Amino acid sequence: MVNLKELKKEAERILEEGKVKYIIGYERGTNGFWPTPAFIKNPEDVEKLIWDPTCVYNLTRFLVDEKRRKAKEKKPDERPVAIIVKGCDSRALIILLQEKFINREDVHVIGVSCENGGVLDEKKLARRVKGKKALKVEFGEKDKLIVTTEEGKTEIPAEEILAERCLECKANFPVIFDVFLGEKTKRQLDNPFHSLEKIESLSKEERWAFWKEQFDKCIRCYACRSVCPMCYCDECVVDTINFAVTADTPAEEKAQKIKWVEKSPVSSENFVYHLVRAIHLAGRCIDCGECERACPLDIPIRLLNKKLEKEAKELFDYEVGFDPDQPSLVSSFKDEDPEDFIK
Amino acid sequence: MNHNAYIPRLAKFIEIKEEVGGARPIKSFRTQFINQNGFSFRSGQCAMLSVFGKGESMISISSSPLIKDYLQFSILKMGRVTSALHEMQVGEIIGIRGPYGNGFPMKEWKGKNLIFIGGGIGLAPIWSVLQTALTQKEEYGDLILIYGARISNDLVFKQELSELKKKMKVYLSVDVEEPDWDEFVGFVPVNVLEKKPSPKNAISITCGPPIMIKFVIQNLKALGFEDEQIYTTVENKMKCGIGKCGRCNIGLHYVCEDGPVYSWTELKNLPQEY
Amino acid sequence: MEKTLLKRSFPQWVKKLSSYKILAPVRDGDFWNYEVIDDSNSVDLNYLNTVLSPKKIIFPQREVFLEFSSSNEEGLEIKEVLPDEKSSVIFGVRPCDAKALTLMDKVFGDDLEDPYFLERRNSTILVGLACNTPPSPNCFCLSVGGSTHSKEGLDILLTDLGDKYFVESLTKKGDELIKLAKGTFQEPKPKDKPDAKKIQTDSEKKLKRQIKEIKKVTSELKEMFDSPFWDEESMGCISCGICTYLCPTCHCFDINDEVTSSSPLKGKRVRNWDNCQFPDFTMHSSGHNPRPDKASRLRQRILHKFQYFVEKYQSYQCTGCGRCVSKCPVGIDIIEVVNKVKDYES
Repeated sequence: MVNLKELKKEAERILEEGKVKYIIGYERGTNGFWPTPAFIKNPEDVEKLIWDPTCVYNLTRFLVDEKRRKAKEKKPDERPVAIIVKGCDSRALIILLQEKFINREDVHVIGVSCENGGVLDEKKLARRVKGKKALKVEFGEKDKLIVTTEEGKTEIPAEEILAERCLECKANFPVIFDVFLGEKTKRQLDNPFHSLEKIESLSKEERWAFWKEQFDKCIRCYACRSVCPMCYCDECVVDTINFAVTADTPAEEKAQKIKWVEKSPVSSENFVYHLVRAIHLAGRCIDCGECERACPLDIPIRLLNKKLEKEAKELFDYEVGFDPDQPSLVSSFKDEDPEDFIK
Repeated sequence: MNHNAYIPRLAKFIEIKEEVGGARPIKSFRTQFINQNGFSFRSGQCAMLSVFGKGESMISISSSPLIKDYLQFSILKMGRVTSALHEMQVGEIIGIRGPYGNGFPMKEWKGKNLIFIGGGIGLAPIWSVLQTALTQKEEYGDLILIYGARISNDLVFKQELSELKKKMKVYLSVDVEEPDWDEFVGFVPVNVLEKKPSPKNAISITCGPPIMIKFVIQNLKALGFEDEQIYTTVENKMKCGIGKCGRCNIGLHYVCEDGPVYSWTELKNLPQEY
Repeated sequence: MEKTLLKRSFPQWVKKLSSYKILAPVRDGDFWNYEVIDDSNSVDLNYLNTVLSPKKIIFPQREVFLEFSSSNEEGLEIKEVLPDEKSSVIFGVRPCDAKALTLMDKVFGDDLEDPYFLERRNSTILVGLACNTPPSPNCFCLSVGGSTHSKEGLDILLTDLGDKYFVESLTKKGDELIKLAKGTFQEPKPKDKPDAKKIQTDSEKKLKRQIKEIKKVTSELKEMFDSPFWDEESMGCISCGICTYLCPTCHCFDINDEVTSSSPLKGKRVRNWDNCQFPDFTMHSSGHNPRPDKASRLRQRILHKFQYFVEKYQSYQCTGCGRCVSKCPVGIDIIEVVNKVKDYES
């Protein structure tokens, strides 16, 4: 099990030695037992750090912010930023390194292992404790999680309350790290792409109807896009403004930016937004599930990305997010790639 | 039935003149409403111009309210809507809704000397108040214009400026030396210090790039102008123009409603977020 | 007028209102949202609160302002498109959401009136449901001048007495609704009103969260514009749109032209919800952005709600529904941020 004291000690050490600008981690939030991202600059503050099954967030998202902040500074602090990553988060980091969005020396990776656990699904937990209020969740022995409610502690088998994606997890422990905490145990993969089975069994018409119902709920809050570490484009298909414009950008260029998607949250536009985003993430999405977790209307967004991940594997034998030197899926080809679509 | 403030009136272009060519072109557009009902406004107010299919853009009215035949808008080509406007020809139709904003408090300025300070396209928002004061010259004191641009090609209203020199003091400038330029060479704020307009019984009205406004105000204060003697007009991104969409606010003010004209007394107390 | 209504008679009341469009919270998976109801039996007021507030009914996320098309005579023709819908009744509006609509009334009814909003507002009748217990662990209506049983903005307030509702009609429109189903209601028994009052005041004590000493906040915020406080608080923000879109008081919008045919030109000018947290909200065509970073956008949100709106309309632009706290994907908590404002020493 990850020793929280060790984590705090390592955090304190690198801050005291001035090795990093700040540490991105998790601290207890004020909305029930959910955490909030912590940005620890002072060694005294490392006490705030926590590590338990509520630590759902993919903190690599904040490396994108850090890069943007640094680009605006006249004399940026060149020290790296430390970040606490789970297995899934570390794969997101691999993608950012693979795409050369950040440099390896800009990040000091503190890897934590989920071992036989994972992170919580809020709704599954609520159903499991049946109306009682959960106050705390901790990793237990073997593959149990310990849930504390007003009535005391109970041990629950992890798979009953873990996030769906954890049940299909490919990396229980970080695949890239500078410091490693916990053990490199691998939980048996239940069934890769298990969450797709139900929807894959539907006919094309049923699938269209399913997604139409889901996308009709969408309010285009863009939480799915905003929370994704891989959605870092300055010129996004969905925006009418290219964020990379400067005072010297000619008016014609600005005027010619095509409006691919209207702002209105109607069926057609919502479909285009979500499908284009899924395709832009093909070979890049590592299924951290944050998009689905962030969605306020419970749209099962990660299924789209999961499907493309499955196709990447089946058609092109492409594994996402393990090798930073691997070329990206859509910008590479092999002679053995399937050609049966060529008639 | 109240008129719906979101519905523009149709107007057509009766004259389009190129003021500045090149990479950052400026054109002056004169419009006439298709339905001949009048449109009264005060100097400093703006209107939302609609290019149907592209969008709307809030532009200050640069003609004087004393002119009843047309409205003039002098527009710098910047983005989607302004590029579409620049492509349009005489006779084409746009939508106009307005007037919006608070306008210059000209009634309070009777008898005073008026000093107009502009940079680049910044002359357009204050052209209306300048022309009005000039037409009603007897009601005001001395009129002075201090105006400059990066290069002489970027000066707007070039023809009108030479006419203007016969009726009031006009001091022009360009930022850097160029052949055949015999007036001041340097930034507009420096020209202000050079020409030393007196703050006695005077009001200064300035508009231009934000950095120019900042230094003009600094220099005017150095010359002894009080905060309430310094006026400027601010711009911000706008959509509804009527203080509802929440976009153009500076503090609790909406620039489309409570501005765009501000005295430095008011503006310095608002958050510096524009 | 005051009446009571047995819960089992509720569908009968709804049946008598067939000349109206009926909306009520409908369960969808793990949460509720307002939907149009066709079957009077399916109005179920046994719910917490909806994800999207009733503002989406009166201020829809997409609304057509006008249609434009090229014509042979003038060259271009525009046609105003005002809302043309049946009057609606929304059941189960929580007091915080109803109060939020009165705040929006101040903005949309100010100076140049917004006919689209006002048309829908005037043709909608709000039947509220007092909160016996706060629907969310993050409710804080009391701190911002509201309450679990506030009548502001409502036409009728229902209080759940167990097997029946205590019905208080607050406006002429409310009276009308009750008259349409006269026989379904009963006169209150002597215990009913005091019982309702007790439930209402007891529920106030159950609120778990509060903004302490909120009166100090507006003046504190005035001093904090340039403070590094905003940078620290916004580090975790991801600039999505959840807090503002779910907020019952937020009203920022965009106006866009949607072209269906370019030659001949045909299209619609529409209003869409917009969001001060999006990075491009205040961005000028030139690329200049008065609020280029998360800190300035968070500052705008807090200052607008707790300082600017107060200075303009003498009310906080927040009714304490707690949605932004519950649904923020990264746990940014407006109650905590505002609480910290008072104690912050810059």
